[in-house]
Amino acid sequence: MISRYHEDKRQRWRLMILMIVTLAMIGSLGVTLFGMQVRQRDHYEGSLSRQSIRRVRLPPQRGRIFDRSGRLIAHNRPSYDLVLYLEEFRQPGAWANTIGKVISVMDELTVLMGEPPMPDEDRVRTHIHQRLPLPLIAWRDLNARQMARFAERRRYFAGVDIQVASVREYPFSPAACHLLGYVGRADPAQDDPETGRAFYLPEFEGKAGIEAQYDHLLRGEAGGRLIRVDAAGYHWGDISERPAVAGADIQLTLDIQIQQWTEQELADSQGAAVVLDPRNGDVLALASSPTYDHNRFVPVIRTADWEVLRSDEHSPMLNRATAGRYPPASTVKPLVAMGALINGIIDTQTRIECTGSYRIGQSTFIRCWRRQGHGILALHDALKQSCNPFFIDLAVRGGYGIMLHQAAAVGMGQRTGIDLPFESAGLLPDEAWKRRTLGDGWRTGDTANVAIGQGALLVTPLQMALMTSALANGGRLWQPRLAMGIWDAETRSMERLPPRLIRNIEWPPDLLRAVRHGMHAVIHARDGTARRAQVSGVNMAGKTGTAEVGPKHLDRKHGWMIAYAPFERPRYAVAMIVEDAESGGITVAPRIGRLMEKLLAEEGR
Amino acid sequence: MHTLWMRLRLLIRMNWMLNVSALLLLGIGFLFVYSAAFLRHDSAQPVLLYQQQIRWSILGSVAYFGLALCDYRRFRSVTWWCYIVTLILLLMVLVFGIRIGGARRWLALPGVAGMTFQPAELAKFAVVLGVAQFLGRAGPLRTATLLAGVAAITVLPVVLIAVQPDIGTAAVILPVVWGMLFAAGLPLRWVLAPAAAGLLVLSMIFGALILPERWGADPETSQRIAEMTGMREYQRERILVFVYPDRDPMNRGWSKRQSQIAIGSGGIAGKGFLEGTQNILGFLPRTVAPTDFIFSVIAEETGFRGAATVLGLFLLMLYSIGRAALRARDKFGRLLCAGVLLMLFTHIYINIGMTIGVMPVTGLPLPMISYGGSFMVGTMALLGLVQSVYIRRIRFPSADAHPVLGDS
Repeated sequence: MISRYHEDKRQRWRLMILMIVTLAMIGSLGVTLFGMQVRQRDHYEGSLSRQSIRRVRLPPQRGRIFDRSGRLIAHNRPSYDLVLYLEEFRQPGAWANTIGKVISVMDELTVLMGEPPMPDEDRVRTHIHQRLPLPLIAWRDLNARQMARFAERRRYFAGVDIQVASVREYPFSPAACHLLGYVGRADPAQDDPETGRAFYLPEFEGKAGIEAQYDHLLRGEAGGRLIRVDAAGYHWGDISERPAVAGADIQLTLDIQIQQWTEQELADSQGAAVVLDPRNGDVLALASSPTYDHNRFVPVIRTADWEVLRSDEHSPMLNRATAGRYPPASTVKPLVAMGALINGIIDTQTRIECTGSYRIGQSTFIRCWRRQGHGILALHDALKQSCNPFFIDLAVRGGYGIMLHQAAAVGMGQRTGIDLPFESAGLLPDEAWKRRTLGDGWRTGDTANVAIGQGALLVTPLQMALMTSALANGGRLWQPRLAMGIWDAETRSMERLPPRLIRNIEWPPDLLRAVRHGMHAVIHARDGTARRAQVSGVNMAGKTGTAEVGPKHLDRKHGWMIAYAPFERPRYAVAMIVEDAESGGITVAPRIGRLMEKLLAEEGR
Repeated sequence: MHTLWMRLRLLIRMNWMLNVSALLLLGIGFLFVYSAAFLRHDSAQPVLLYQQQIRWSILGSVAYFGLALCDYRRFRSVTWWCYIVTLILLLMVLVFGIRIGGARRWLALPGVAGMTFQPAELAKFAVVLGVAQFLGRAGPLRTATLLAGVAAITVLPVVLIAVQPDIGTAAVILPVVWGMLFAAGLPLRWVLAPAAAGLLVLSMIFGALILPERWGADPETSQRIAEMTGMREYQRERILVFVYPDRDPMNRGWSKRQSQIAIGSGGIAGKGFLEGTQNILGFLPRTVAPTDFIFSVIAEETGFRGAATVLGLFLLMLYSIGRAALRARDKFGRLLCAGVLLMLFTHIYINIGMTIGVMPVTGLPLPMISYGGSFMVGTMALLGLVQSVYIRRIRFPSADAHPVLGDS
């Protein structure tokens, strides 16, 4: 152990050494500085005057989208844009001077272009503050005349150039507009010093539908090039380049032809329809009406157009097929029947009398749609005639638990997990839900209402198509899917995505057969509710529904129909809803008939 | 009244060289934060950066004079509380921290909307205090025990900062602690061994990033080896940009290149206040000009004369801190000053080194000058402690006489 005195002395020595070393190192910085600022000054001055280096962004090609038979449904076309490299407009003093300069140059260009530039002063300011290294796009999509005019006079416009960008085009628009979505200008990303990636981010990003869902695959990555330009904008040569990376192509399960047929059937009304392949969950069509022209979003939507679309009371931008929540009405009855059969509440021959209404407790009556009643009938006729008291009786006797179990099994109250953003889960009410929202217990009347698809139960058209698909294929719940292939740049081939089974519902085949035969009669019997869906040569099964919505006195009704075909080996499962309809049987059934006819004729070819 | 007066009279015994250099550096800081943020002035900014900076420096001055008046030896008893509070704040930042650009480093100040602070800045303060306290204790301890204790004090906050992630701040603590071990007079082999280990790790990281590609390994293997360092992509890129200046000049290499042009083109006399083209025209990225790259702005606008003046002021400041250490009454005070000296030195060296291209880009601020509240207040508090040590220095030191050793 050294003495305190010695320790002290040693520490002083060490401190002196530390001081000398640190001061010397700071001094060495001074020496380097001297070298840079005094001896090599000319070198850096030179760099400064060579600062007419322009950073050119090389925008990526966005991945294309194909339908299932390889038809292009979203691709890119070149757009020649007039851009301003703002770094070359810099003026001494406050930034406002530079903005003023940019505005005055754009004013001069307006004469050549024949139309005012897209950015206003605010836009120029935000561009300078948020994305200075990127060129400011002043006019998009020049025509040949504008290009020629500019080429003639370009030497007077330093820092202005033509840039080729690729913009989206949807050849079948407005078909599948909700499903494909659209692209829009990416939110201006502040240059993040941590990652420094903002420069390479594409200008556009998917804002809705498939474009948004698979944006990470479709968008690719921008490249960049440093070029040396002189004051007249002449390119002296490249300094370095990093190529852009194209986005991946995607193939959808969608058949654009079927999509167009489906949309035709909805054209004159508000509503939605989904066509699934019950064998694997492929979405063949997913339509919502009204539609909008998503080509209007290309390259960027005008503010006025956007306001019109947004404020339209028919909400054309809403994808009703996945985000619309409707009461399923009588289309839920096959499910009630399955529950009752499986749990032995009835067998296929059990007969129940319909007097035209069903009494719950002392004073509550639920009417059958046929006032005089259906008389005594069994399951087959009850489905065919869509008899309310029959199914209410099954549900009330069996208890709500059975109903709840079946509805959950076919995916009600849950998102199907389709690869689209903003899917709604619908609403599958239970006792806990009712306590939470209404502060009341579950009553028999609630069970009765849900059994005929009224009350709190809400579904999306996609969920109904999924249920139909499960009834058609014997209980297999395939997850609805849109992407079936993604282009793999490495193997240079489409990578196939496998279908995904959500679950296998245990439905005894003989019981299911009884329900399916009832659904067959719905269409093919002379007194079936969907007899208007009959078309020659098409053997199918289905169920109609008419949902009462809103206050009673308005008498608003939505018409439903679900169907699958061909009856023996189903390849199509369809669910369609038409808002403000007369009834499912009158309004929707003929549309389903026409659609199925086309679908199967197509198959036969 | 009388005791208050006695207290204030202590101020006369302050180290005036330190006072003056700190004041001048602060002033330079205000001027050039103003200049570096000048571009922003026409956008709607509610409070201008330099005004904000002046507010922070007032808070810093309160800490500076307050701590100078307190007897630093009293801090020995609260050291561990400071340390524990810092650890709690570091844990809080991991949970409640505000996320900016992929890292959680900031805590919202309660009661002041929009104000944030960085507990990591506090941690630098707490570690210096903790290590000085531990090494400065009266009782003798074996060297191995001392080392283990110091390691324990250091590792906890360093790891908590590194996972935010803020590798730069975490890493800057290590050389400071190492320097304090050296200053504490530990046997040289005990001091050199950790330094050697550190250098080994550092060269392994550099090697893992650079060598596989140099030796012709295919890109995938190089990538895998690079990922084994556990660093994020942007962190690796910063090192690669440092080694290969022409890598990605459009993007990640941009600020370093522009900073060097700014400094070099400043020449001897500079381009004049608010006349620096690199700064005013926005070649230096606006997000970092008032903070990490403030020195480039100074060097461009005032030239070598100004830049050398700033370096001279820093030399003066470091020298006066060193003097306070040499004349400290006790071991605790001496180590405290040594810690502050090292802390400021590493920041100055790494920051200025980064702007002139001899160090890789890390987000370390320049003491007293860079815009940023937590670090400013922290630095001034540390300087206040140094003053407190200096005020209570040994009055008549003589090389021959045994000094009266500090009681504790």
